[in-house]
Amino acid sequence: MSDLLQSAKTAVDLAKKSGAQDAWAAVSRDRSVSLIYRDGKVEKVEESTSRGLGINLYVDGRYSSHSTTDLRPDRLAGFIKEAVALTRVLQPDPYRVIPDPALFKDRPTVDLERVDPAVAKLTREQREAWCAEMDAKAHTDPRVISAESNLFSGESQGAAASSNGFDGEWSGSYLGYACTATVREGEDKRPEGSAMAVGRFIQGLPEPGSVAALALRRAVERLGSTKGPTVRTTMVVDPEAAVSLLSRALAPLSAASIQQGRSYLAGKQGQKVFGDKLTITDDPLLPRGLSSRHFDGEGISARRMPLIEAGVVRNYYVDTYYGKKLGMAPTSGSASNRVLGLGNKPLAALIADVSEGIYVTSWLGGNSDATTGDFSLGLRGHQIKGGKIGAPIGEMNVTGNLAALFAKLAVVGDDPYPYSSLRAPTLVFEDVQFSGT
Amino acid sequence: MPQTLSRRSFAALSTLGLGLPGLLAGCRGTTKAGSTTMIPGEHAPLADHLGWFSVDKPTIARVMSELTSRGADAADLYFQYSRDNSITMEDGIISRASSSVDQGVGLRVVVGDQTGYAFTEDLSLEAMLAAARTAAGIAHGGAARGPVEFKQRQRPSYYALSQPWSDIQTVQKLPHIERLNALARKADPSIHKVTVSWADGEELVLIADMHGNIQTDIRPMTRLWCMLTAKKGDVTQSNSANLAGRHGFDWYTEERLQFLADEAVKRTMVLFDARRPPAGEMPVVLAAGASGILLHEAIGHGMEADFNRKNTSIYASMIGKKVAPDFVTIVDDATQDGERGALNVDDEGNAVEKTVLVDHGVMASYLHDSISAKHYKVKATGSGRRESFRHSPMPRMRSTYMENGPHTREEIIASVKKGIIAETFTNGQVQIGAGDFTFYIKNGWLIEDGKITAPIKDINIIGNGPEALRNVTMVANDCKLDFGGWTCGKDGQSVPVSQGLPTTLVSKMTVGGENV
Repeated sequence: MSDLLQSAKTAVDLAKKSGAQDAWAAVSRDRSVSLIYRDGKVEKVEESTSRGLGINLYVDGRYSSHSTTDLRPDRLAGFIKEAVALTRVLQPDPYRVIPDPALFKDRPTVDLERVDPAVAKLTREQREAWCAEMDAKAHTDPRVISAESNLFSGESQGAAASSNGFDGEWSGSYLGYACTATVREGEDKRPEGSAMAVGRFIQGLPEPGSVAALALRRAVERLGSTKGPTVRTTMVVDPEAAVSLLSRALAPLSAASIQQGRSYLAGKQGQKVFGDKLTITDDPLLPRGLSSRHFDGEGISARRMPLIEAGVVRNYYVDTYYGKKLGMAPTSGSASNRVLGLGNKPLAALIADVSEGIYVTSWLGGNSDATTGDFSLGLRGHQIKGGKIGAPIGEMNVTGNLAALFAKLAVVGDDPYPYSSLRAPTLVFEDVQFSGT
Repeated sequence: MPQTLSRRSFAALSTLGLGLPGLLAGCRGTTKAGSTTMIPGEHAPLADHLGWFSVDKPTIARVMSELTSRGADAADLYFQYSRDNSITMEDGIISRASSSVDQGVGLRVVVGDQTGYAFTEDLSLEAMLAAARTAAGIAHGGAARGPVEFKQRQRPSYYALSQPWSDIQTVQKLPHIERLNALARKADPSIHKVTVSWADGEELVLIADMHGNIQTDIRPMTRLWCMLTAKKGDVTQSNSANLAGRHGFDWYTEERLQFLADEAVKRTMVLFDARRPPAGEMPVVLAAGASGILLHEAIGHGMEADFNRKNTSIYASMIGKKVAPDFVTIVDDATQDGERGALNVDDEGNAVEKTVLVDHGVMASYLHDSISAKHYKVKATGSGRRESFRHSPMPRMRSTYMENGPHTREEIIASVKKGIIAETFTNGQVQIGAGDFTFYIKNGWLIEDGKITAPIKDINIIGNGPEALRNVTMVANDCKLDFGGWTCGKDGQSVPVSQGLPTTLVSKMTVGGENV
């Protein structure tokens, strides 16, 4: 048994000794290194190893959750004892019980390839060399004022144990690099462009220099940006920008939102809410997936789950607590990897099919109302004229309703964004309201 | 509030320390190796702080010497202990609570504008020395001279509590939570769901630098949220309001609970009648209070000196230039009593102040931490902040607001032919270099022919910082800070801030909306 699992079991025992009927504890340890390089030299190096413990307590029908980074045995015992005492003064909640052990069964064993041993062996020299490569690439244009390159990596281990028979362990590694280039425009303006790549394995990531080249290209493409017109037109969303748009649309699938009446998707299971082109599956078992897992935070064994099929809402993210309140069987309370049903053309080909429209490269601020689905987002991008990417535009908003917007999803690309657990491709929407001049 | 500055008590550190043993109430009687047991009144406050972290001055000096062994222009140790509690009432029962404890030390070495940083949650000498060696790896020179002795300066106090949060039992908080729930529930028959969320916490910090300065602080924080869902027929609406600040338990009076319930109910019920304004450019009236989000995004971030030192801010060459009309004065102020953005000392141990960013329309000063102050050869403005011991400090805002102007709210609204009033907000963002900023309006009003005609909701506003400042055409005399809590994110670090504004007219910004 690992020392982490032993610590989790010890915490559960302490809770039971203090009077809890049930407890769930998780312990984790992370090592992370970050190197920031700017304009020819190292600017900041951060390196640390961190650990912590979280514990959920079930005491006389009451519930609380706690976390601490002070793991000295005497402090931890006092902390848990106090936490149990605190729980006793709350009110009994009939819906709150420790997850049913039946949910722990049939845990998958497929190798998720979460750990690349090479990440832990990266040397400072290698990290600096990669940053220097990005920095050099980002400075290949005379208009660049400053460029910041960041290399970040880490390894983590964790373990969880419960008083009703759960135990499980996990580990993971990651390596990422990011670059931001800032260029001068006129007297005061300094538009910037960014790009990043991240993965669990070093192998498969693009060359650091190509990430910097993309950041530089994006910065240069911002030069001469103006405010576009107020117009209703076609919107093409870049895969990277589609990640957060889809994430907003899907957040109200949680049972907590639905039970609290704060979801525009409440009561829509089995109904067609979105366009035919939208099919999304939650897939926790993707090898090397950024959010792949064998079980979720409640110990529920992982399985693939259709979320949306050809526009029809199939499943919600149901945890044990809100599931019980709603009378719904638990699925999982949290998202893993989300994979879309793909079309057959990449971004460039899809733009070529649009005679007039706006290509959104990134969002700036904005928000949405999960209860009604109303949204309004700031954006940057380009005009599309005659199937070609035109002048850069910015300082504009797009406004509407998420259900109505995705009902008008016309085309899905074949080019999923690989550096997010939500692998969004290019999305094309018709008849979208933009605000500009 | 900016226009009603209350008297400050510049207390000596000894009086501030009284709350400390209370902070440790849960751990009384725990004696640690090389340390002391906390007994009220028995030790001087610095000793209490040192004792809590199981360190003494020679230990700090030893770690500092390791930290600066390869050279340093600046170096500091940031010890932090924080304890947070929260309680939630949902569906009519107080159904969950949580607590968290976080403790550790962050170690920083600065050589020129290069920074080495490491932290450890393990406060043993061996662990701290190992972290010091890691951070020192940035430097390549000979050892810097360490401090001969550590000295504390006196500092002001903007949030001393009569009773520390750790002295307040959970059972004492429950009646307030139930009362707020009841007030909200009975306010309107359409109220379908009420969630009340209570949070309180305290943070103990000890900052020691290589020049021998040592500084301590105890920082309380609390927030009470009221979230509502209302149903009318088959239409559902939800919204929320919160009260936040560096206040104690006694801050929660019946009047405050009633105010919060009313505010949450008002913001939710008005959504049933609210619509989207037309899309496009129009005049925007920023209501007094939370609209300070405009300053935070349009100018505040761009005035953080690190962006300017790196030459990546749109304001990098604007100091001394006229950027707004004469009646516009914008400040960032650590000295507002009980505000989330209040600080007694910044996270580098520097003295805090009220910094004037724009003085009567002229760009006056950036917000500086030690690194940028050295770069610009000016005094630090006490703006060096960090999320926790896990992060190195950088220039950040505290309480950002605009001073009163010459107009009235009535004059401003009457002057607008077709535009909107922005009243409550959920979030904002800025692109430092291009200057484009946004903020999201949750509640607002349509103005037609100088009159408020209809409620509006859920629209994003986008503008350009310097352009928006130039387009500030009227400022009223009713400045107030927002009562709700704001958290600012930058480079992955979150810090509590405050913001405020008098009623202000910006003659033109791009409003998200829908044209039918």
